Amino acid sequence: MLNRLRNLLLPCLGIALFLIVWEIAGRKMGDSLFAPLSSVVVQYVELLRDGAMLGELFISLRQMLIGFLAACVVGMPLGIAMGRSRLADAVFRPWVGIFVVTSTAALIPILILILGTGLALRSTVVFLAAVWYIVLTTYNGAKGISPEQIAVGRSFSAGRAQIFWKIILPTLYPYLITGARIGLIHAIRAMVMAEMFVIVGYGGLIHQTGMLVDTSSLLGLLATLMIVSLLANFLLSQWGKTLAPWYEQQRSTQ
Amino acid sequence: MADGSLQVKGATPGQAAAMDYGRRPTLVGALSIIVGLLLWELAATQFSHFILPPPLNVFERFIDPAFGPRLLDALRLSFIQLGAGFGLALAIALPLGILIGRSHTAYHMFNPLINALYAIPPVALIPFLIIWFGLFLEARIALVFLMCFFDILVIIIAGARDVRSSLVDVGRSFGASRALCLRLVVLPALTPFLFAALRVGSARAINGMITAELFFAAANLGAILKRSAQAFDSASALAVVVTICLVGLAAQALIQALERRVLHWHLRA
Repeated sequence: MLNRLRNLLLPCLGIALFLIVWEIAGRKMGDSLFAPLSSVVVQYVELLRDGAMLGELFISLRQMLIGFLAACVVGMPLGIAMGRSRLADAVFRPWVGIFVVTSTAALIPILILILGTGLALRSTVVFLAAVWYIVLTTYNGAKGISPEQIAVGRSFSAGRAQIFWKIILPTLYPYLITGARIGLIHAIRAMVMAEMFVIVGYGGLIHQTGMLVDTSSLLGLLATLMIVSLLANFLLSQWGKTLAPWYEQQRSTQ
Repeated sequence: MADGSLQVKGATPGQAAAMDYGRRPTLVGALSIIVGLLLWELAATQFSHFILPPPLNVFERFIDPAFGPRLLDALRLSFIQLGAGFGLALAIALPLGILIGRSHTAYHMFNPLINALYAIPPVALIPFLIIWFGLFLEARIALVFLMCFFDILVIIIAGARDVRSSLVDVGRSFGASRALCLRLVVLPALTPFLFAALRVGSARAINGMITAELFFAAANLGAILKRSAQAFDSASALAVVVTICLVGLAAQALIQALERRVLHWHLRA
């Protein structure tokens, strides 16, 4: 009981400490360098009332989702194929290895030449930033499925399709969710990056606010981005828990 | 697993595992690369050379006496901010991560905060970096630092927490002091995580290097990339991308080679 209270109290204490340091640092540095918490809160209400922030955010997120879902649709089957088939592994391994270390930022100037600066560019950047992490996480999961599990299916004379749908896929749920979570972090990062490059949407809003040296609005925009990212991550992990409730238990007993 | 990859459980599973992807060259892999290049060649015939040049044109750029040396020169300058930012991130994240990971109180106090700050895309901080550091070297170093700092920190914290308490207890019961335990038990147990942090961190830092060169005042490799793209010289732009990609692969290979030497005692999963 005491332990639980402590584990609840300590994070609050840490965050409170951070907010106090922020307030003091902000007052010392002034609004043009680093706005204190108090003026960000005031400004944040203004940003919410103004509506431009949330409006741009929803448009940006909707466009981001196109690239992210495409990355899931391509990345998950590819990861499973690579994990289950030696040939697929050997064929795609060098390419995944190359692309995962290539920075998406470096591709933007070239992608602009091919795709222009519209929706296609942003979706492609998001897709390229997220897909390799989804592939690799799924791959690690698929590779780790024990042969015994599949042998059990065989001895109950399950067909290939049945083994896939009833054994392989459920075992992969936690990895698919983890892959989606990591992919989503990269997708949101890529969304902001692409938008700041061509100055549209939410990233464009951040860029313009920065140009005005309006740090209290800027910090408000960053806070919203943080909340969205944490919320998306939380929702995905909750979904993972309902999808594969056995996984958490297994991990905690290990 | 035969590829000698290292499982880092608990430490942002996918991130560390993703960088863990051993690259043992195989015949099929080499064939796949060749087929890929042929496909690129084939695709290039459908586009104008200004937009998608064939692979040979790109590789020609490297031996072009007017371009190759310029590229190398820019790369050398780029390494300055890469080294400074990455080094600074390591120097702060390693001790801080061990401190937070080893102390129960500090972990519960700061972990939610770190996760929250980690959720902010570093690129979104660029306007701040411009306000504080301007548009040149200092700002670029700061972005490289921010891009890799939290990734390293999170892995080191997970590693420091992962050290089995029974190991530390053995040290204690032999009368080792806290400092001695740290040096002889915790640090060696942490090395696999350190290498995971190096792999993930270096990839992020290289990413930060080119991002910084594109987003602040265009400099070094970023300047060549931007100018080439603006002049519809895709071959040169792609040559820069290939260079960055090679730097990334070389960094991964280097760290993996080092890991094999240092961690030969470590049980491979």
